[in-house]
Amino acid sequence: MSKNSRYPAYDVWAEHTHWDDHTKQVVGSRRSPQVAYQFFSHSEGLLVQTAASELVNDHRLEVLTFVTQHLDEALASPIGEAQRKVGVPPKKQLYRWGLAGIEAESQARYGTGYVALKKEEQQAILQEIAAGRTQAKEEWSQLSPVDFFKRFLRDAVDAYYSHPLVWSDIGYGGPAYPRGYVRVEKGLTDPWEAKADDK
Amino acid sequence: MTNDSELTHHSVHYDGHHSNQMSQRKYQDGADVCIVGAGAAGGVLAHELAQAGLKVVVIEAGPYWNPQLDFASDELAMRRLGWQETRLVDGQDPLRLGHNNSGRGVGGGTVHFTGVFLRLHESDFMTRTIDGVGEDWPIRYQDLAPYYDKIEREIAVSGPDHFPWGAFQGPYPYPVREPISANAQLFREACEKLGMESVVAPLAILSGPFDGRPPCINRGFCNQGCMPNAKYSGLIHHIPKAIQAGAEVLSDCMVTEILMDGSRVSGVVFSHHGLTYRQKARVVILAGFVVETPRLLLHSATPHFPDGLANSSGWVGKAIMPHSSHDVYGRLPEEVRLYKGTPVLALTQHYYETDRDRGFARGYTLSAHGSRPVSMAGAIAAEREDGTFLWGQQLREAMLDYNMYARITLVGEVLPHPENAVTLSGLKDEYGMPIPKVSFSYQENDRKLYKHAIGEMNRLIGAMGGTPEHVVSDTAHLMGGCRMGRDPQTSVVNEYGQTHDIPNLFIAGASTFVTSGGANPTNTVMALAARTADKLIEAMQLREV
Repeated sequence: MSKNSRYPAYDVWAEHTHWDDHTKQVVGSRRSPQVAYQFFSHSEGLLVQTAASELVNDHRLEVLTFVTQHLDEALASPIGEAQRKVGVPPKKQLYRWGLAGIEAESQARYGTGYVALKKEEQQAILQEIAAGRTQAKEEWSQLSPVDFFKRFLRDAVDAYYSHPLVWSDIGYGGPAYPRGYVRVEKGLTDPWEAKADDK
Repeated sequence: MTNDSELTHHSVHYDGHHSNQMSQRKYQDGADVCIVGAGAAGGVLAHELAQAGLKVVVIEAGPYWNPQLDFASDELAMRRLGWQETRLVDGQDPLRLGHNNSGRGVGGGTVHFTGVFLRLHESDFMTRTIDGVGEDWPIRYQDLAPYYDKIEREIAVSGPDHFPWGAFQGPYPYPVREPISANAQLFREACEKLGMESVVAPLAILSGPFDGRPPCINRGFCNQGCMPNAKYSGLIHHIPKAIQAGAEVLSDCMVTEILMDGSRVSGVVFSHHGLTYRQKARVVILAGFVVETPRLLLHSATPHFPDGLANSSGWVGKAIMPHSSHDVYGRLPEEVRLYKGTPVLALTQHYYETDRDRGFARGYTLSAHGSRPVSMAGAIAAEREDGTFLWGQQLREAMLDYNMYARITLVGEVLPHPENAVTLSGLKDEYGMPIPKVSFSYQENDRKLYKHAIGEMNRLIGAMGGTPEHVVSDTAHLMGGCRMGRDPQTSVVNEYGQTHDIPNLFIAGASTFVTSGGANPTNTVMALAARTADKLIEAMQLREV
């Protein structure tokens, strides 16, 4: 497994002049996210950003701001959830309770708030929630910690892997309309695609 | 622009009719046929019936997309192509819905399908007789063969000269797609090493110019909506042709009730921008897929039909089937770049037919399947077959190797079971309709089948020189819920999609499937719709319905 990008010199956004206007607008807006929350309180927003940073293992502020903004908009939006398991609270409630649950776990285990913890402690708390081993009884009385973790992980990952900086890290060529991909067979790349740095 | 999920679209680009002017509807005094749902089935029916001179109105809950303005080369933004309204899911294996298997908007699921265009096999229509599982269909392969031919010609399906499995051996109307992606090449080489035949996939994606549309440019965003219009969808093919032939399409209009006049259907009620309208019609065809069609029937109960319309059998909503669609992501020593090219360009049906030595009935298709960062990361993080999560540093490191991964996907048969069902929950949606509940649990044969397939996918990754790293649990497609049959006590519609209980109420689409088959269903959906159209045109001319 790689610890760093195979493509340190690659910047997918540098190609955006070759993209259609709608795609440019959709992807470009992620590079300058808003920070005003519609759904989260200020402290919830900070908590989401801190925990999401552990979920995706990245600490770049511009990327995490977008992840948090995306989550905030998705939760404020009236658009449905596509599916919700019987017994799982609706998305707004799931997040309100789940975030309170993270905070309560932090208080129960370390006697302080989540954002003030060390990274290892923050990770440990998420690990326990993912495994359903929670200590704060009241905060988790109406939701399963595992259901919340799964939803939070999925949402954070959706947003994170939609950011062009992350596309560059992983060497994703991304949008290719109208030009398409010409060299698609084994070992071939179009001139503008990411090229691995062998060193 | 701050919100990816903001509902913006361009319905009014449709010059034939402005769907926001309900006072100027073409057939507001009554249509011959009202079709609910403008997807794979609804598009074919609208086109055929309008061409036959019938007055056709198609009512679609979602927008009338403009590919150039509404689509983007982006996974997150294009989730909106799926049906995002919340459904409750239940059972031991609750389904993922939305973009995973449904569409919303003109073109329905064809707007975001991969375009894999397969026929069912002869055995699929008689699994009870041959294998003692599932149920037999009231039709045989030969009944559908001329309609498969017709649809494949009509949309210029590309595919191999020789197709080695099933009754249809090719050739396809258009030549195979070339070149194929690295992932598809690796898959085919691995198949050959292991003694499995493979082909370049038959696709509803152009390999040469056709009907004013260009061949595919390997952009790879089939699941996000094709922008060059190289991939077939009802949105760019059947619906515009239906409009040209006189049909009217009402988009952004949600049908909330079927109207009855005694024992016959008289039309539907629909909601548009908060106001309620009626559309009268001599015949109503429900083509709203596996969840919405049963939901509408159950919700439209009357004193005459207390258990829901067309439900004297009690089978409305029952025996729904997804395909098991597990994925194996394997890490290779060389770059694969799963984002490049049409997602599915190679497949094998080596394990399609029953072999009792395997310990289960029926079989499956395996496809080389591309993947983009959001779908791969989300799947390996949160949908793992072993029930664990991958996150933090491990997920990050796995995804830094994104370009080193190959992926194989299963389309596995799931046998019908009455407890896998769509029912109405006690919760209401914005229209005041009960939110549907969709229950699903795999049965023993289904589990044995997908476990076998995972084993074979792992072997194929090994034959590529790779290591299977991530096994993802997923499903694809939905079928059943209003199955066809000869016996009105155990089925909802007859072989033509006409409901047993109400002669002028028809059902089209995947909901009438009796079994799931082990292949992508869209070709069968469209062929069945064309067959229904033929029958209906004849019956309406004879005034039989």
